[in-house]
Amino acid sequence: MSIFKARVQEFENTLAKDEIDLKALRQLCSNGVPDVNSLRPLCWKLLLGYLGPKKESWSSTLAKKRSLYRHFIEDLVLPPGLKENGDKDILCDHPLNEGPDSAWNTFFNDNEFLLQIDKDVRRLCPDISFFQQPTEYPCDIVVNSKGERRLHQRVVPSVLKSANVERKGLGVTKINLINKRSEETYKAMDEGQEAHWEVVQRILFLYAKLNPGQGYVQGMNEIVGPIYYVMASDPDPEYREHAEADCFYCFTALMAEIRDFFIKTLDDSEGGIKNMMKRLSEMLKERDLEVYERLKAQELYPQYYSFRWISLILSQEFPLPDVVRIWDSVLADEKRFDFLLYICCAMILIQRDQILQNDFACNVKLLQNYPPLDINIVLTKAASLR
Amino acid sequence: MAKKTYDLLFKLLLIGDSGVGKTCILFRFSDDAFTSTFISTIGIDFKIKTVELRGKKIKLQIWDTAGQERFHTITTSYYRGAMGIMLVYDITNEKSFENIVKWLRNIDEHANEDVEKMILGNKCDMTDKRVVSKERGEAIAREHGIRFKETSAKSNINIESAFCELAEAILDKTAGRESAENPERVVIDRRNNEKAPAYKSCCS
Repeated sequence: MSIFKARVQEFENTLAKDEIDLKALRQLCSNGVPDVNSLRPLCWKLLLGYLGPKKESWSSTLAKKRSLYRHFIEDLVLPPGLKENGDKDILCDHPLNEGPDSAWNTFFNDNEFLLQIDKDVRRLCPDISFFQQPTEYPCDIVVNSKGERRLHQRVVPSVLKSANVERKGLGVTKINLINKRSEETYKAMDEGQEAHWEVVQRILFLYAKLNPGQGYVQGMNEIVGPIYYVMASDPDPEYREHAEADCFYCFTALMAEIRDFFIKTLDDSEGGIKNMMKRLSEMLKERDLEVYERLKAQELYPQYYSFRWISLILSQEFPLPDVVRIWDSVLADEKRFDFLLYICCAMILIQRDQILQNDFACNVKLLQNYPPLDINIVLTKAASLR
Repeated sequence: MAKKTYDLLFKLLLIGDSGVGKTCILFRFSDDAFTSTFISTIGIDFKIKTVELRGKKIKLQIWDTAGQERFHTITTSYYRGAMGIMLVYDITNEKSFENIVKWLRNIDEHANEDVEKMILGNKCDMTDKRVVSKERGEAIAREHGIRFKETSAKSNINIESAFCELAEAILDKTAGRESAENPERVVIDRRNNEKAPAYKSCCS
């Protein structure tokens, strides 16, 4: 049996048990989940605690959560002017009603963060076409609502059509319609269809609605992206059909651990981003004083590169397949974000010769546009640092 | 081989609401290319371009920032070192224009007093979606005594001239001081893989 087949077999054996041994599963996943069957989407669901270790609980958990998610869509992704309990109070409520109970008021407030989500999901993973493709399983109540429940419809600026009227000679009138641009790639789909980015938009919108203290912060799109990609590429059509709901809960579970990175007022707290950057800096100082001193002398502060590295769990630094591989290891780790810091530290150490030679500008470039390399080298190095 | 790659170093900063095209403007200027598919900027990004102005090689170190409010604590820490700030809005987005006032206040709070500023109304190629007239842009710039240009990163309108004008304004300011100073930074580029600096003269 090949080594690969043997690894797949090990996963399958571990996942076949009535009660999954999470410790054993973590161990296996930390070396990467093989890209076959439904292994990765299933392992991530387990690692993130969306599914419990007892297999018999899975079907009821999934049914319950998916039905709840459906209710979220029904209740919160609403056409304009419709109350969250479904009432339409036409007599008292109207678009200019600024009262706190006004459904219109909620609608306009929601549109503020929706606009930001819209901008960001339309630039998610532009180097692959996945998010621009239609999903096989569009959400029926949304795509058959004549556009009313389509979130991005709410934030499309209305534009008055204009035309140039030209009169030539004896009253011959020529109307030149101004051409509409057509090159938009993240375009909305026709009635009955929707693209993956539209689904991601809905997930982020619901997350922001249900977590009003946090709302939507740029970068969350980069966190939900890899999870959705993994869930929506599940070879098992039954799972794939519910990728949206499953992704929502996995994303929510992951956000529960990293939400401090996204809250400005927590920047200085223990779990906040500044402290994480400081820890990375101290780790580097301990492991390689020369590199540390070099960066310090160049006034190349950790926030120039590691702010993004840490807050997005490296999702913008590598191509998607590599990101997914990194996340296998990070999610499998019991001290996830400690391991993330080891990975970041390894990334710097691997470039040490360059860093020691380069000037400030080249070093910022190097760290902000990390050169492509075999991701296993980084992960092996990271593991050796512990 | 040691070579002096520039005479002066200017640090510039791009700020403005999310999605107004800051990254595209910078990409057009540094790489002379356009793509509408940029990932959103998280935190701060960085590009370098060398230009020649009045016989001086000027290295522009340009910082591109994230637009969303959440990142302000991170991004405002860069204001202090900036010698020039480009404040960008989108002519097809009313809100981004209204927020110019907010961004100006931010500059007052965090940047050096003598920082050179310029307001850019970007996406001026999108005439059919325009909601902010050029006159309004000019008016707000006049009101605050700031330079103003309408730009299009996509159609390459006014991008290079905007950066060069800003650089020139900084040069004017430093001219008095600079005679006493020697260009103190010498760069040893052993890798030699940095793109050859564009020594073409701009703003002709």
